[in-house]
Amino acid sequence: MTTSGTPVDLAALPGPAHLRLDGKRALIVAAESPVGAAIARAYAQAGAELALAVLRPDEAVVSAKRLQRELEGLGTRSTVYVMDVVLGKNVQVTTRQIAKELGGVDIAVCASDLFLGKPIGRTSDSELQQVMAYNFNAHFFVARSASDEMRRNDPAGGRIILLSHVLGERGLSNTAAYGAAHGATQQLVRSLSQELAPQGVTINGISTGWMDWMQDRLDERNDDAGRAVRFTLPRRAGSPEDVAPMAVWLAGSGAGNVTGQVFHVDGGLTQHL
Amino acid sequence: MVLDPPSPFDMDGKVAIVTGSGRGLGKAMAKALAAAGAQVVCAARTPEQIEQTVAEITSDGGTAIAVPTDVTSSAAVDALVARAVEAYGRLDVMIANAGGGGGPQNLEFWEYPDDAFESVVATNLKSAFYSDRAAARQFVAQGEGGVIVNVASGTALRGNQQFAYPTAKGGVISLTKSAATMLAKHDIRVNAIVPGYINQRPPRDEQEAEVRRNRGVRVPVRRLGDWWELGPLALYLASDASRYVTGELFIIDGGGLAGGLAPVTFAPAHEIGAAS
Repeated sequence: MTTSGTPVDLAALPGPAHLRLDGKRALIVAAESPVGAAIARAYAQAGAELALAVLRPDEAVVSAKRLQRELEGLGTRSTVYVMDVVLGKNVQVTTRQIAKELGGVDIAVCASDLFLGKPIGRTSDSELQQVMAYNFNAHFFVARSASDEMRRNDPAGGRIILLSHVLGERGLSNTAAYGAAHGATQQLVRSLSQELAPQGVTINGISTGWMDWMQDRLDERNDDAGRAVRFTLPRRAGSPEDVAPMAVWLAGSGAGNVTGQVFHVDGGLTQHL
Repeated sequence: MVLDPPSPFDMDGKVAIVTGSGRGLGKAMAKALAAAGAQVVCAARTPEQIEQTVAEITSDGGTAIAVPTDVTSSAAVDALVARAVEAYGRLDVMIANAGGGGGPQNLEFWEYPDDAFESVVATNLKSAFYSDRAAARQFVAQGEGGVIVNVASGTALRGNQQFAYPTAKGGVISLTKSAATMLAKHDIRVNAIVPGYINQRPPRDEQEAEVRRNRGVRVPVRRLGDWWELGPLALYLASDASRYVTGELFIIDGGGLAGGLAPVTFAPAHEIGAAS
């Protein structure tokens, strides 16, 4: 049953060489998020060294430290950083520090996401700014700083993976600001792919749909939220473990010719009537 | 009828073929082009229906003839174009609208038989190719360019349970883009109309109207489309109003394809910083 929710244990798979990330240095931005943490685990199982960047110096640090201990149990070294993604300079300085400590950055994943559900008439300037900051600007800053570090690699190159959402390409009431910000991130993938390709840097997006950690938009008290989940073909919300294998494939040696694409991991949500 | 003042939408002196114009969307498009001044050749398999379309056009002061045609036959489609040229001296517009659902319903994918698949492909995809090719041949011979409008379906852009029909209409979309690319050097434009859920005619009774209202609430604009709403779009695409537009899809679906992630009533409410 290929659409079941059973997590894939990559370590238990025969392990084709192109899915191994041994010796690769990976930066995960928003590692405190469920999907960021799942990608960190999958990368650890694939052999990567990890920098776990959390967006705020609060309980996010605690959950990242917990993840760090879990990864230690898998025999993977990782370091926790606080990366305030609101300012590009902060992203640059932290990314530089991470690159110095790891000796470079080969893979950068940005899972920054902040949902706002509000009619446009009640969306304030400052709410729009925050939504843009976490759903678009953060991805822009991470791509800018990471690609700069990847240029310095010998040989030059790297993989950038941006986590986005299908609301960035399809409409829904109360999601004008959020959807527009993710639409911008998805176009960032396409635009930057052309610019970064000569430097050996690929950039791709993973666009998720209705996921099991998204209580921010799938309020269980709202019947329509349950109906929305049943719009997926397997009729279930996706899990972080549904997403992580895509991030492994995109980071691996088999995906070097893949760039500028936004892949859906959404249970077919966007592909049927 | 000539639009006054002269307008890029004016079709006066132009000759248009509309296939599948015996009813529904095709009839609406034929009447819209005729109302803007075009001489219209109405084609469909059933003579009575296109004769009725012609009667309505002529009673409104327009010009049209009916040419019964099986669009799944390439020879018949070639003959249709020849008949249009014989009647009006030239051809300017081909609206390849003929098509239809058909095919067995409620079959599992693995049960779908060869002949049903081939029949749906013939009606919806081969017919469009034959129509586009015959028109292009005539346009190139005339040396003054031309316009092709294919009618696809929103089902082609998303999967659904009908299977063969959306598959064939997906081919129509690819045909549109490739033909536009190949024919641009001859000043022939090729575009596609992509309708969503459109009523083919007025409701027969209150019960049917109610069924339509119930289906309509699932569309973002909260209603199904109506046949006559295809006319203005067909006129835009057939006329010089769209002279720099080619290879494009024109979705007319009340916003359905722009959404579709959830019921149209779903409006998640969430404040930044609120517990999730």
